[in-house]
Order: sequence, then C-alpha cells, then structure tokens
Amino acid sequence: MNTLAFRFMLLFAVLVTAMGGMVRGQDAAPPAGESGRHWSFRKVVRSVVPNVKDNGLVRSPVDAFVLAKLEERGLTFSPESDKTALIRRVSLDLIGLPPSPEEVTAFVTNDSATAYDDLLDRLLASQHFGERWGRHWLDAAGYADVMSTDNDASIIHPLENRWMYRDYVVRSLNADKPFARFLTEQIAGDELVEWRTAATYSSEIREHLIATGFLRASSDDTFAPELNKPLTQYGVLQRTGEILANNVLGLTLNCAKCHDHKYEPLTQRDYYGFLALLQPAFNPDRWLIPAQRQLPNVSAAEKTEIERGNAELDRLAGELRKQIAERRATYEAKVLATKLATLPEAIRGDTQVALATPADKRTEVQKYLADKFGTTLAVKPEEVTAALSEADKAATAEWEKQAAEHLGRKKSWQHWQVTYDGPATPTKLLKRGNHETPGEEVAPGFLAVLMNGTEVGSSRTRESSVRSLTTSATAQATSGRRLALAKWLTDRESPAAHLAVRVQVNRVWQHLFGKGLVETTDNLGVTGAKPTHPELLEWLAAEYFDNGGRLKLLVKRIMTSRVYLQTSSVAPNQTAAAQLDPDNRLLWRMRLRRLESEIVRDAVLAVSGKLDATLGGAPIAVEPRPDGTFVIPDKGLPTPTSQWRRTLYLLARRNYHPTILTVFDQPNLTTNCTGRESSAVVLQSLTMLNDRFLLEQAEHLASRVIVAAGSDTAKQIESAFRITLGRLPRDAEQAASVEFLRRQVQHYSEEKLPADQAVLKALAQVCHTLLNTSEFLYVP
Amino acid sequence: MLAASGLGFGTLALRALTHEEASAAERAAGLAPQQPHFDPRAKSVVMLVQNGGPSQMDLLDPKPELTKRAGQTMSVETFQMGNSDKLMASPLKFRKYGESGIEMSTLLPHLGSLADELCLVRSMYSEHNNHTEALVMLNTGKIFPGRPALGSWVSYGLGTENRSLPGYIVLRDPEGYNTSGTLLWQNGWLPATYRGTEVATQGTPVVNLQPATPIAPAVQRDKLDLLAKLNEEHRRQFPFDAELETRIRNYELAARMQLVAGELLDLSKESADTRKLYGLDDPETAGYGLRCLMARRLIESGVRFVQVFPPVKPQFQPWDAHGNTKTENEAICRKCDLPSAGLIRDLKQRGLLDSTIVLWSGEFGRLPVSQNGTGRDHNRNAFTAILAGGGFKPGHVHGATDEVGYRAAENRVGVPDLHATILHQLGLDHDRLTYHHHGNDETLTDSRVTEARIVKELIA
Repeated sequence: MNTLAFRFMLLFAVLVTAMGGMVRGQDAAPPAGESGRHWSFRKVVRSVVPNVKDNGLVRSPVDAFVLAKLEERGLTFSPESDKTALIRRVSLDLIGLPPSPEEVTAFVTNDSATAYDDLLDRLLASQHFGERWGRHWLDAAGYADVMSTDNDASIIHPLENRWMYRDYVVRSLNADKPFARFLTEQIAGDELVEWRTAATYSSEIREHLIATGFLRASSDDTFAPELNKPLTQYGVLQRTGEILANNVLGLTLNCAKCHDHKYEPLTQRDYYGFLALLQPAFNPDRWLIPAQRQLPNVSAAEKTEIERGNAELDRLAGELRKQIAERRATYEAKVLATKLATLPEAIRGDTQVALATPADKRTEVQKYLADKFGTTLAVKPEEVTAALSEADKAATAEWEKQAAEHLGRKKSWQHWQVTYDGPATPTKLLKRGNHETPGEEVAPGFLAVLMNGTEVGSSRTRESSVRSLTTSATAQATSGRRLALAKWLTDRESPAAHLAVRVQVNRVWQHLFGKGLVETTDNLGVTGAKPTHPELLEWLAAEYFDNGGRLKLLVKRIMTSRVYLQTSSVAPNQTAAAQLDPDNRLLWRMRLRRLESEIVRDAVLAVSGKLDATLGGAPIAVEPRPDGTFVIPDKGLPTPTSQWRRTLYLLARRNYHPTILTVFDQPNLTTNCTGRESSAVVLQSLTMLNDRFLLEQAEHLASRVIVAAGSDTAKQIESAFRITLGRLPRDAEQAASVEFLRRQVQHYSEEKLPADQAVLKALAQVCHTLLNTSEFLYVP
Repeated sequence: MLAASGLGFGTLALRALTHEEASAAERAAGLAPQQPHFDPRAKSVVMLVQNGGPSQMDLLDPKPELTKRAGQTMSVETFQMGNSDKLMASPLKFRKYGESGIEMSTLLPHLGSLADELCLVRSMYSEHNNHTEALVMLNTGKIFPGRPALGSWVSYGLGTENRSLPGYIVLRDPEGYNTSGTLLWQNGWLPATYRGTEVATQGTPVVNLQPATPIAPAVQRDKLDLLAKLNEEHRRQFPFDAELETRIRNYELAARMQLVAGELLDLSKESADTRKLYGLDDPETAGYGLRCLMARRLIESGVRFVQVFPPVKPQFQPWDAHGNTKTENEAICRKCDLPSAGLIRDLKQRGLLDSTIVLWSGEFGRLPVSQNGTGRDHNRNAFTAILAGGGFKPGHVHGATDEVGYRAAENRVGVPDLHATILHQLGLDHDRLTYHHHGNDETLTDSRVTEARIVKELIA
C-alpha cells in the first residue's frame, strides 16, 4: 500500500466506524444537545420512511417521503412518463445530450425488466457524465479560465493551463471519486503529497497538485501593478474563503466580514479564523502575484537540472559564436582597411580615432569626420561574409549550425495553477472589514457553530481542534491548515461534514428536479429557505454518507424513484393538484426544465450531427465582434471541427460569454453560482431565429435528415422530428409540416435552385423550425 | 400575482399594482408599465456616462485656492505611479454662465449655455480609485460586480410603455466597449428581462434582429406560422408553465421589434436644425451626437431608461487625463459638450425635460496634485455630477469640496444617495423597491448598510 492510500485509509477510518454504528430507522429527533441548533447545523439522522396509503406507487423510499406529503393533501403522483420522454429526460440530465433516434428505438423496444436500469448504467458510465456534472461543480466552485475580474471585453488575461483543473473535475466525476476524497484533494492535495522534495512528479503528485486549482477560482487583479495593493490582495483571500464557504457549506459567511453576521450564528471571529486556514496560501503579508504563484510543472530537482543543462548548452553555443566572431573579426579589419584606403591619407588616422571615440565625447572636428565618413566606413555583416575564404565560410557555417543545435536542445517547462502554502503570518481581525484597521490576532479556527460539543462562540475549542489536526499533514513546509479544514468538512464526526453533505444532496436534487429541496441552494443557513421535504433531505444525506459519498449511486437512487419518472405535463387526474399546489412544490408532477445555456448549444450540435465530442484540453477561443457579439473565431482553431466542441471546452470568461450562452442565462462568475436562472426573454427567440450558428446547423441537420430518410417527404418529416425531438410527429404536426415543406420546396425551386438544393434549403427551414420549438428547449 | 408560476420571478414588490390591460406574458417579459409607489416627478432617465473620471477642478468646480497654493505640497491618496505631491493649478479657464452664474469651464460652452437648467452636485464621492470598481458603483451602488444596475431597477420598478422595445436600452460606441463594458448594464439577480439591451446606432440595431443569412420574408412568416402551431400544441400540455406562453409571445414581439427598430434608425424625418443641435454633421461630434439623438427618440417612444456612452477613441476611458489636463480635456470636451447639451435642449423644447431625468456623471474625480508633470490621477474622494430635468432644481449648485477640490466637504452625496434621489423622482421608494434574493429583500441602495438617503436639497 502506498503512503497516500494509507493516509486516506486513516482519513476514512472514522467514517467507517461511524457507519457501523448507524441504526437504521431511528426516530428523526435531534440528538441530545442539538435541539437548539438550526436544522442544517445538526448531525444527519436517517429519517424513518413514512407509511403511505398507495404503496403500489412506491418504487423507492424517496417516493414514500414525497407521496406521504401529497397524500396529506389528498393528492398523488402523475402517471409515469412514456419511454420516449423518459430517455430524453435521462440523457439530458446525465450527459447533457439528447438521445439519438437509434438509442430511443432501442430503449422503447426493450421490454426487459432491467431496461431502465441498464439505460442509467450506460449513461452513468459515459465520459460525457463527467462533462455534464463537472459543469455543475465548476459553477459552484466559480471556475473561469481567466485570472482577472474580466472587466473589458477585448482584454483577456488567461492563466496558463488553468483548464487542467477543469479536466481534473471531469475525470474525478467519471471515476466517481468519493466526495470526501474529491473535496480533500481539491482543498489540500498539495498537503497530501511530498511534491517539494520529489525528484520527479508522479502522476499521483500531479493529480493532487492540479486538484488544488479549486482554490484558485477567485478573480485576482494583482497582476496589474497599480492593483497589486493590500485591498486587492485581501480581496482575493476573502473571496477564496467566501466562495469555499458558499459552495461547500451553503453559508453566507461573507456577511461576517465587517461585523458579526446579523442573522446567522457566524461571528466576525469565525470569519477571520476561517480565513486564517487559507492565509498561508494566500498571504497578503507575503503576496504572490499570479505569475509568481503558478508552479512549474516539473519538480524543483528537475527544474534545477534543466536550468543546469540549459546553462551548459548556452555556454557551448556561446563559445562557438565567440569563435565565429573572432574568425570574422580578422576579415572585418581587412574590409575596413580597404575602405579606409579610399580616404585621403592625411585624414585616415584622425577619422579612425574619431569613429572609435564615443559619440558624446567627440570634438567638433571628430564629429565632422564621423558624420561625413561614418556611413561609408561602416562594415556591414554581409560584407564580412562575402570576404570570408571558402574554408572559413564553411567553418563558421558549421559552428553556427552546432550552436543552433545546442540551443535547440534547451528544455523549458510549463506552469500549473495550483495552491500551496508559504510561510504563515498572524491573521488579524479587520475592523469593519478594513485592512487599514487591523484588530486583534485571530488563530486559525473552524466555524464555531459547526463544532462538536461547543457552545456557539467558544473559540478555544475550535482553535485547538485545528492545532490537533494540522499535525497530520505529511508534506513538509506546509501548515497543514487546509488539510485540517478538509477533514473538518468531510469527517463524519464533524457537524460541518453533515452540512456539506446536505448541501451536495440538495444540489443534486436541484439538478434533477429544477429546484432544490431547499430552494436557496447557496444558503442552507437560518436565512435560507425552509426545506420542502426536510425528512427526505435527511434521508438522502444519510444515504450519501452510507454509500461512501458516491455521486453516481446517489443520482441513480433518485432517478429510479417514481417521483422522477412521472410526467411533466399535467395529466387529467391532476386538476386538483394544479389548483392546490400550482407551483408544484409538493412534486405532484415532474418540473418542466429549460435547458441550461451550454446544453442548448450542445443539443443543437448533437442533432445536427456536427458535435465534436473530443474530451478535455485547452479551451477553444472566443472573441468579441464589433457588433457586441462573442463568437468562436473562424481562424486559428486547432482543428476544423473544434468550433463544434462541447460548450464546456470554450474559453470560460467571467463576464463575456458567447452570445448564444449569454441570452440563455449563462451566469457571470463574479464569484460562484450554485443554481442557474432560467428566463424567457425575447433575445432568446431572436437568437434561435436569426443567429448564424442556428441557421448553419439547421442546414447540417437537413443534410443528416436526407441521408437518413431519402427523398420521401413524409419520411423526411418523420426523421427530422425523431432526430430533433426524439419522437414521431403527431398527425396534425405531420400534415402541417409536410404542407410547409411542399411550399418551401416550391419557393426555392422558383428561386431557380437545382432540385436537390431546393429540397435541402426547404428541409433546413423545417429543421430550423423544430430547433425553435419550445419542446426542443426543455427537459421533458 | 406575478410571483406565481415558474417564471423565475421572486417576490415582486409591486405585485399588488399590476396593470390589467397587459397580459401575464407581457408582464413577464417586462413589457408592461408598472405603477410607481407615489406620484412621480419624472418617468424616464437618460444616463450620460462620462467614464474615465472627468476633472472637477478643471471643468466643473473652480478652485481659486488651488491656483494660489500651486506648488505647495499636499499628501493625497494616489492610485497610479508618477504623482508628485505638489498642488497643480488648473491650466483651464472658468466663466460664469447664465442668470444663475454657475461657474464652469470655457471648454463646456454648450452645457454652460444651459446652466440655468442644470443642477450641479459638487460634493459627490465614490469608494474606489480604480475605473471598474467605481463605474460598477456608479451603476449598481456597490463596487463589486454582480448587482443589478440602476437601469435594471428602474425598468423592474416601472416597466416600459413601449411594448415593442425593451425598457432599458444601452447606446454605446459601435467601435467598442468603454471600460467595464457589459458589467455596467447587468441585471444581477433581477430577471434577465431587465438587463440593458444594446441597440446599435447603425447597421442592425439589435443583435440577431435579422437573419444572419437572408431569408425571404414570406418564408420567415410561413415558418413562424408553423412554429406557432407546434408551440401551441406543446403549450397545451403544460397549462401551468406560463414561461411557454411568454416564449410564444416573444416570437410575436420579435416580429414587432423588427418593424419598430427599422423606424428607430430612420433619421430622415429629423430636421437640419436637429442635426446641428446634436453635431451630426461634424465628424468630431457625430458619433456621440447620434447616440444622444437616439436617446431622445427612445425616450419619446416610451423607453424607460437609456444609458449613453461616450466615444471609445482615442481611449476607452475618454475623461482619464493622466498625461495632460489641458490638451486631453480640450479634446474630449470638443466631442462631448455639444451633443450632451443638444440632448437636454432638445428634450426641453419638446416638453420632455420635465418628465425625463438627465444624469451626466463620471465614476470619480481627479487629484489636485500633478501626475506625469501636467496630468492628474484618480480621486474617489470628490467629483461633480450634473442633473437636469425630472424635477431637479434648475440653475442650482449643491455641496462643495474642500479648498483644493480634493475631498467632498459640504453636503456630501454618496452614489447610493444619488440613486435614492433618482428613484424618488420616479415615484419609487428606494427602501420599498425590493427583490427577494436568497433570503434577503434586496434593494438598489442597501440603505441598512449604506445609510442612503434622499437628497431633498436637490429637488425643485
């Protein structure tokens, strides 16, 4: 067993012990001493699965919690979705791409009892799962490819290899890393591996360092000298802590920067104690600007070796060039002598002296001579070359070739955007949040309200807890504070881990149902919304703990519930539900959810057949146009199909997104985002209707339809519906579309287009119309 | 009630006051007028953003004492390198304008000629010395990006009176974005319908208003008909998802916008006098002048909030005179003075100035000491804003800076105070215009923290 695995074993030992002690089906009353706490600050206790009247509707315990609440109001679930809607929903939710007509047919015609399970398993195993769910995590983490606050449209401040963190997230989710490990690597990966003294970076070291790109999400303007000042530096440290608290704990810790939180049990000391955990890595007392903060992607030993080797190659090349210069010098003297010979003898010596004298020290006479003869007497390199003997010409050319070869063998390295500690300095509480008015020193500490056996505000205990945990960091020259933080956030004995798991479970629910069980997914504190189904949230949190923090297992658990399977349309039996609960808070039907901005673009590419499904790598450029739009440039792309990569791989800026994304509510990542907005503004319609990308993809889609359906008009319409919407047209739709197609073919024929072109153009109008339908834009 | 349905709306503060004539879908699209809290003095706003930091002591706030003390040392909060600690007299001249006798630079003869219409606030201050933070503050009330802009709040509060145009329109130089670009017309966490919509003054007024490759109008109409059929069929399955209805209406709105926007750009009916008023025939003033004229046309057609940006060339923060106070101000005043004044004069002669607030403001001011020999560095502690129309006191000067113009000293007005006062003139109570966001009833001015107040002294 390697040392790392051993450390993880220790890390999880507590967790496993705790799991063994779990008693299922206990009453959900809070443990002793916790009754005074806000619900989300208590330990998770697995709720008792309630009894329901209609047991036939319960496919999973999840259903019992939802159905019990519905039955209290005399309501029930909607019918199960048909299989065509279901596979579309599942595909969009798990991999962010609509199913192909072949996949739909295979699923619809599969009568096996495990058909749905098999479908889920296939999609959960897809590489695209990590892309889809990685995007959720990257939103919450505040990921962008740029370092600055990204103020100006035309100025991009990229961070070298920043994207490697994005790919780490995708990889980790595809591998279904346990949540505790996933989080620990990202917060303190550098403290778990011995990278400072390693001879070379193993893949394990590489992965752990890149993971810490997580904490590099805050915008950092200190690359600009006029902004490299304490205010900006403290801003980076503070935002890093605030994003972390918001993402992982669902707390508005930022409100405690200037004063104790007005509504939450979070004090200003909590805030600065929490920041102290991060301060050795982001230390305003010893600030590193981004160019200094990034780490070479080779070990210190390798870097020294490369530098030594490069110096040697420079030396060898230098000697050869010196040799060349010496050889040429003799010829240069000869050329000069020849030129001097053309001057009257009386002034030759004086002119030579004048030219050898520095310009500002020349006498008037010398200035005159230098001005008059300087140009004629100057020896140009090509004159020296022409004068070389054949042998010396060959010799100097050979030396130059050797010198170039030496220089060509020099090695360089790239950089990673990671997090690591420098020396710690004391953290001060800043009065009114102002760094110019530092107050008392605050020791590193966890949030008191999330500590075991402490009353709120008892700082002694929380600080000694940090001390006892920091000693477990094995990497040298690091404070161990972030590793302690990671343990506090993931150890099942720690109340913080219980809150963190609730936050995660709640967000997973949001991604599958459109809203969290707590609607304010970024705030599970006292000021957050109340959970609609508190017992279900507790049950799912316990489930996530017990399954070892495996996201895929949790997702599958939820997706196999009857709640998830029900229709989103309003069934005839649901008129009462619609009146009693028009907002569908009780989940008497599935919510109709509009696709996120990226998925709109990805789905268009998927149905047009043009999607370039390459995984990972450096981001694809996005550039501003004078008309205010942002688009992928036509030129300079790695490959011709790069323009059709998944949206996840486009350059991620904070404020300037490709226009098609902006209109579909791509959030500005000033900090982070735990839940997307979904609007229906007119610019969306204009974009879908008129944007070049849509018009082009509609034509590609039309070509695909012709390949699939041949020349039969009715079959073309059927095929266009199946590819775009995953279903066959209804009779009225079929009739209207066929009629429309006939008129369009006639129109384009009248425009003197050849017959096949007229059909293609006309069919592109059908396809474009289908891409514009509401149905295409929503998860059914 | 607007909060119903899955529109992504939070609790609308004005929900009890919705107009019945507008459909739910139109209200959802922000395309219906909303009742203010109380009788308003004004109903629309033009914000002339003068970014870069116009120099108060050289243009709008004469400081004889600065001339007397030129060369003396003074310790100030600087931003960039290259500052001296020596006070620098203004190399520019002031004169008294109008009956009110307000002193302004001779570089601003056109605004000066309107002095009796203007309300100068000489005691403005900001909270940050960097352009972006200060501009974000001027537009959203706080220095950190992410909150809704003033224009978003106003159109959220009052809706629009033109159902074919967005309520909040941005007119920027077609050559590029000014500093901080789209951050300055963000909707923040307000619904996206309240984001500022960029309207171009040439070419296609709105992005994607016309197909990227030509499609015959008959084809487009036929397509929209088929689309309407398919969407209506789909919508019937989801009677409670009002968003689908909004989406269908949006395609109708898109068609209306195509018509209206075409008229909007058609300047053929504007008289030669009007062209002269805005400087459309002089290349120096034509670009910004066209945007000012467009602002008037939009206000006339019922748009609620128009934000106009100055030229981006030679620099995208045009008032940022670090190198030479004299020549740089001469250059930018030549471009901006006449069109800004033209707009105010035009609104006045059309009887629109009473109901329209014109705000002329930069994000901060400049230092009394010299930088790079003859320039001035950023100064968050003092700047001058100009208000006109909308029930603000005409021919009035409010507040004062210290003797050298370094710091707002008397009757200080913070950006949140200015915002509160503008909302007040529009009939909106800044503490009651709220949006429920993540557990808080958010407001533009966040007066619990900022202690924003209505500056009654500015009101006629």
